[in-house]
Amino acid sequence: MNDLGEDEELNGIKIIKTGCCHDCGGRCVLRAHVKDGKIIRFETDNDEEPQLRACMRGRAYRQRVYSPERLQYPLRRIGQRGEGLFKRISWDEALDEVAKNLKEMKEQYGNSAILFVAGAGNQGMLHGPVPAGLMLNQFGGYTRMWGAPSYEGALFASMATYGTIMTGNAREDLLNTKLLIMWGWNPANTIWDPGTNLMLAKVKEKGIKVVVIDPIFTDSAAVFADQWIPIRPGTDTAMLLAMGYVIISEDLHNKEFISKYTIGFEKYKSYILGEGDGIPKTPEWAEKICLVPAEIISNLARDYASIKPAALVAGWGPARAAYGEIYSRAANILCVITGNIGLNGGYASGFMRAYYSRERVTSYKKKDNFIEKPKKPRPQDNPVDFEAPPRKDSLFKLMGGTNPANTRIHYNDYYNAILLGKKGGYPADLKMAYIVASNRLNQYGNINKGIKALKTLDFIVVQDQFMTPTAKFADIILPVNTFMERNDIAVPWLGSPYYIYLNKAIDSLYESKSDLEIARELSKKLGIDPGILNLEEDQILRILSSPRKDIKSYNKMKKDGYYKIKIDEPFVAFREQIEDPEHNPFPTLSGKIEIFSEHIAEKENPLMPPIPKYMTHEEHYDSPKAKKYPLQLITPHNKRRTHSSLQMVPWLKEIEHHAVWINITDASKRKIENGDMVDIFNDRGRIRIPAKVTERIMPGVICIYQGEWYKPNKKGIDIGGCANTLTQDGNSPGGAFPLNSNLVEVKLFSKNTVGVSK
Amino acid sequence: MTQFGFYFDQARCIGCHTCAVACKDWNNVDAGSVNWMRVNEILKGKFPNLKMVYLSIACNHCSNPPCIKVCPANAIIKRESDGIVLVNQDACIGYEVCGAKCLKACPWDAPQFANLKKAKMEKCNLCYDRLEKGQQPICVEACPMYAIDVGPIEKLKEKYKYSNEAEGFLYNNRVDPSIIFKSKKIS
Repeated sequence: MNDLGEDEELNGIKIIKTGCCHDCGGRCVLRAHVKDGKIIRFETDNDEEPQLRACMRGRAYRQRVYSPERLQYPLRRIGQRGEGLFKRISWDEALDEVAKNLKEMKEQYGNSAILFVAGAGNQGMLHGPVPAGLMLNQFGGYTRMWGAPSYEGALFASMATYGTIMTGNAREDLLNTKLLIMWGWNPANTIWDPGTNLMLAKVKEKGIKVVVIDPIFTDSAAVFADQWIPIRPGTDTAMLLAMGYVIISEDLHNKEFISKYTIGFEKYKSYILGEGDGIPKTPEWAEKICLVPAEIISNLARDYASIKPAALVAGWGPARAAYGEIYSRAANILCVITGNIGLNGGYASGFMRAYYSRERVTSYKKKDNFIEKPKKPRPQDNPVDFEAPPRKDSLFKLMGGTNPANTRIHYNDYYNAILLGKKGGYPADLKMAYIVASNRLNQYGNINKGIKALKTLDFIVVQDQFMTPTAKFADIILPVNTFMERNDIAVPWLGSPYYIYLNKAIDSLYESKSDLEIARELSKKLGIDPGILNLEEDQILRILSSPRKDIKSYNKMKKDGYYKIKIDEPFVAFREQIEDPEHNPFPTLSGKIEIFSEHIAEKENPLMPPIPKYMTHEEHYDSPKAKKYPLQLITPHNKRRTHSSLQMVPWLKEIEHHAVWINITDASKRKIENGDMVDIFNDRGRIRIPAKVTERIMPGVICIYQGEWYKPNKKGIDIGGCANTLTQDGNSPGGAFPLNSNLVEVKLFSKNTVGVSK
Repeated sequence: MTQFGFYFDQARCIGCHTCAVACKDWNNVDAGSVNWMRVNEILKGKFPNLKMVYLSIACNHCSNPPCIKVCPANAIIKRESDGIVLVNQDACIGYEVCGAKCLKACPWDAPQFANLKKAKMEKCNLCYDRLEKGQQPICVEACPMYAIDVGPIEKLKEKYKYSNEAEGFLYNNRVDPSIIFKSKKIS
């Protein structure tokens, strides 16, 4: 047990200052009350403002740590892959088998045959996939993925437009705006850093007009919005272009800003006015596509261009769709042509990482706009990636953003990579998977294809805390402890100036080990030197956090369990570029904001236009497939889980029963009533769950919150109700995951089985 | 007598259930039918003209608690010092024997019973142990929206512009619940 953080001792209860660090929009303070080595309850931050208060996910954490479903011992598979039959083995046996397979793969096929699935289930600096990654680097490397399902579209657009992911203003600055548009953004459920929702409440209380655009009447829409505009999924680009049309044709754009800070406006204007394709992108044109009345589009456009300053916050959800990067580009450009960049109360939509030091500690130096690499791989470099040329469609000339090595495989495309290999044009023939902190199968598109792919691998090792649907496909499972059982540092997820030190609260439960301990022991068996992994947790954390110059006192951070950085005034992205452009060019290739991107144009990929264009695709409402599968399925994040983590927690489970949301119009056509069991299906799979018949979702659209665990019955029907049984694999050229772009049909299965609130 | 009670800002509540989960964790209440704190969703209208608010509610520690009057075992008491209404579980004769008279008498479902035949009444005790130590109740400290406050009700009435009613909550003069609201009417 740690000496630090035990500043209170009452009735034998020690209060350990720790935190919550899954892959949600949070990273929050938890204080574990520990008695006789057991956590008996939690408190959250009750110190100085701004407090980093945990949401219900963190408050329920005791039921995750002590869940009877925790993996307790190393396991070896004895049944078929996916069947879930395992036998307890010793750590020694388990690690011997993993080491043997790693060595054999390396010898027989080379390191690129090893697929390392580095999941996001733990967001500490040290644990999760970090130690295994450092170990595998020393072992000669591995094939890794690129792309993150949450934000890859938004990231690409942010880089293409501004040359950076550090966009958007600090939350506090929203109080300076006069109009806030929340586009596909639901922080009431997804959090977006502790404090964001409180700030939005204050925006509302100040009388600032708030508009929410979303196919669902979300909690954010209900609580914060003066106006809710339901929009058909995947058509956001059309509405944004139509807003651009109104702004330009009514001469409301900021001409001075455009000429001083941007390039490519004329090409955008020409497309908007329909000069090339003969289709002016009018509100009437957009209305038919988006189902948003033209008058509403026009009024919002006029308001956004004339009320100054105005903040358009374009969420990541609509970019989690086919051509999601184009939606995000279209939103960014609307911020640009109205001149709402670099000033208080404005907002540069994009990646929205307003304050964050990750980019400032980037490992490569930039020279003449090209990335200069070190001469030989360092411990943190993957040798397989190191000499690789960039991927063609990547924005490789820009610093930051996604690793562009062409040895990488897109996260939502690796089932094809496994099945087809080099013959199919993929960079490697994959033979084994090392999966850490990832419920891979459950959390990416097209589970049934994933099952086929995982069954073909020679060896799979999974390092996890629970028997996830992914773990059931492992040959060896290594049980990992939780962040209550080790020390780590949590970096804020998005843009807030603080860090959380997670002091170890209890010893590891059962036979579980930390990711660090596993990598250390496995390194010995592999005969490699794991470098800094041999140091103590705290020593490693000092090294890993040392490049972050905003942490002035490591010891204070550890003692308090957090480190809050005082900032004099709210951060405003691009203030320097706007106030003194001569000395502060934008970090793009042109030095200006790129409405037209030459770097994208070089790709000559028709699916990747250098200015944002509206495009349909084969899982869109107007495709031929929609005759057979007329409903659009979206798969957003719900309020009671973090992706698929926390699935097993009873306190959270009871809050919202898993059900498919369907509008009453669509339900009655299919003779479905609230609580009926329904089948949702397409060519990729079939789910059977209850229906929630509600007015809160627009007709033509259904919603299955992502993260519920896949659970096939004997016929292969997913009675768990995992959204990805129905979603697509593959990706858009800019990297967007098409997880909100799926056509499905719904049918009644049986009447009124469970109570579901409307 | 000082009467402690709640302030609830209905306009701020995002329905995140953090108060309810923190309450269960602090008081060791399992998932199931017992909810000392309840978060109700109130939705009105038809697509696309919708309004929705949440109401987070525990026990209102009423001035004239109807639960006390109907309890056949005198198991419910109201503390002189702060007006907090508490149940003596040793005295409570249980759901099956009395038929949950207290729950039936309460306009706001504060008395809670587990799904067991012999279940005894339990409910919010306003974290009196925390109050005595100078701490706020766990729900107050948990709420990420700072939408809940607890204190002497007269002081809360001075501190906030308030209403006795809220969407989903009807004031009852005779019972005089110790809760005030910043309400958000949606009808």
